[in-house]
Amino acid sequence: MTVTDTGIVTVSASGLTLRHGGTAVLDDVSLRLEEGITGLLGPNGAGKTSLLRVLATAVPADRGVFTALGHDPGTAPGRLALRRTLGYLPQNPGFHPDFTAFAFVDYVAILKELTDRAARHREVRRVLEEVGLGDVRGKRIKRLSGGMRQRVALAAALVGDPRLLVLDEPTAGLDPEQRMRFRDLITRAGQGRTVLLSTHQTEDVAMLCHRVIVLARGRVRFEGTPAELTARAAGRVWSSPERDPGARAGWRTATGAFRNVGDPPEGADLLEPTLEDGYLLTLDGAEATAR
Amino acid sequence: MNTDTNPPHDEPDARGGTGPLGGTDAHGGSGPLGDTGPGGGTDARGDAGPLGGTCRDGGTRPRGGTGPSDDPRTRQGAGPRKAAAWHLDEEDLRAYERGELTPPLLWSADTHLAGCAECRARLAALADPVALDAAWQRLDAELDAPRPGLLEGLLVRLGMAGHTARLLAATPVLRRSWLLAVTAVLVMSAAAADTLRAPDSPTLFLALAPLLPLAGVALAYGPALDPTYEMAVVAPMHGFRLVLLRTVAVLAVGLGVNGLATLALPAYGLAALAWLLPALALTATGLALMPRLGPVLAPALTGGGWVVFLMVTVTTRHGDGPLPPFTAAGQGTAAAVAALATGLLFLLRNRFDSVTPAFTHHSHGSTL
Repeated sequence: MTVTDTGIVTVSASGLTLRHGGTAVLDDVSLRLEEGITGLLGPNGAGKTSLLRVLATAVPADRGVFTALGHDPGTAPGRLALRRTLGYLPQNPGFHPDFTAFAFVDYVAILKELTDRAARHREVRRVLEEVGLGDVRGKRIKRLSGGMRQRVALAAALVGDPRLLVLDEPTAGLDPEQRMRFRDLITRAGQGRTVLLSTHQTEDVAMLCHRVIVLARGRVRFEGTPAELTARAAGRVWSSPERDPGARAGWRTATGAFRNVGDPPEGADLLEPTLEDGYLLTLDGAEATAR
Repeated sequence: MNTDTNPPHDEPDARGGTGPLGGTDAHGGSGPLGDTGPGGGTDARGDAGPLGGTCRDGGTRPRGGTGPSDDPRTRQGAGPRKAAAWHLDEEDLRAYERGELTPPLLWSADTHLAGCAECRARLAALADPVALDAAWQRLDAELDAPRPGLLEGLLVRLGMAGHTARLLAATPVLRRSWLLAVTAVLVMSAAAADTLRAPDSPTLFLALAPLLPLAGVALAYGPALDPTYEMAVVAPMHGFRLVLLRTVAVLAVGLGVNGLATLALPAYGLAALAWLLPALALTATGLALMPRLGPVLAPALTGGGWVVFLMVTVTTRHGDGPLPPFTAAGQGTAAAVAALATGLLFLLRNRFDSVTPAFTHHSHGSTL
């Protein structure tokens, strides 16, 4: 692990390529993760889930290498060592619906080699308390709400106190209140850990992440801090009474005026950029490259 | 209580007070001295009372009029008898807290503590708060622990480690509904074979029976019926170990059910067991092909191949004898295939360590 200006590099990937059916779903992806929460932003089909699966050791890359927490998952011992300190929340986590929340997390804890019954039960209880499900731990999963199920899945990822957390769109499908609660949980989970969180919601990144990676068409289009991504849109966001035909993107805001993103005309009424503006311009650049 | 050779509760109590283990308790009520209480009769567990029968020194506890304790450590003052008029002494409380008190004194202390808030408070004050908290957490966690189902309980009673039994019990294919369906199919095929009265072998039964363990193994692992498949793959437990565990479990059930069906065909004798080696061969082949073809296609192709092979042998055979796979030569071939496929499976064991091609394909279509 190396130390950079912003923190300790815990995961480092180089040239990751994954092909499926002749299409490169990941195309020469290189990145680094540091301790703390990194957001992986990208539209649907960008390759986020594929990248997370590779980093979670669920799928081996066709080409490229990565190391995580000092382990090389390209080797069987390295993969095992990494898995022992990995928590993974898949995009669509599955449950045995007849299990209680406790039984499910207990089951995952067994898969994570926590074989001592008393110690395992203590750990299961701890993580369920941590995600705020202590009171419903005896309830069957099929009786829990969507938000609670997602928290059960997060508890399963957290069991065993992993150092690397890979979370695939954990806030998708949650209502605003649940999303806020989940963000709070992720913030706490990110303390002292390396967390990679995929999302297509810029608010998640703005609120949670100290670093962000933008992925589009299987390639990394941006890697840096949220402030740096926002800065990409500095001087490139302006307001106009009607949609500006020269804008890359534009939408009517609550005030009735249009917010335009792109290359502003001279004398335009410039606005303070947001993370979303920077993200949209980055995606637009990716599309232009693809064209 | 203490650990003297002659426990203090065996000594006369001139005050007429109640001793630590002979009076009020949660179960026995507040009887006069000498009444049958936890120390004088049956304790909460229904055994002879720990202090009412033979004492540790081999003596017998006096009853009726003898106070249970004259030990100054346990004397909390004489007075009208009321609930918890006596209390556990400091030394015993400490031993209890350290977990060093042994039955039957432990049971008596348990019983007394259940009914005496004061002693509970003293115990809590003695106890290391961290250790006490940990003990409560342990207790709570035990109360939360899922109750083992029938299968899990049976496996544990048979000597299997609890965590392994849990992994097996979570195998979807072992669920009751699946077992019922399998049993129904087998009963039907056995009945059909019996009705058809084939002269030498129950062909329909022998053809179907090997497919059932194969189907079971296919469904026991992989994304088709295991909702936690993706989590299981990235867990440190080796995927191949999970496959083997579940295969053994499914095979045991599948072969057991098949065996019972075989017993329903006594007229055929050993010929009705000719499904066994083909079943092992098909299952091993299906598993060996799984890393390459995925958990659905591999067994489907293997099973399909078996059916096609049987149909070819039916159309080309001469006479009424058993089909080639069910002859001695066919059985030898099945054994060889089973051995080869098992060897191949062992060589490919690390391929079970990542998600299958079929799963990746499916997911790319729906979630990327």
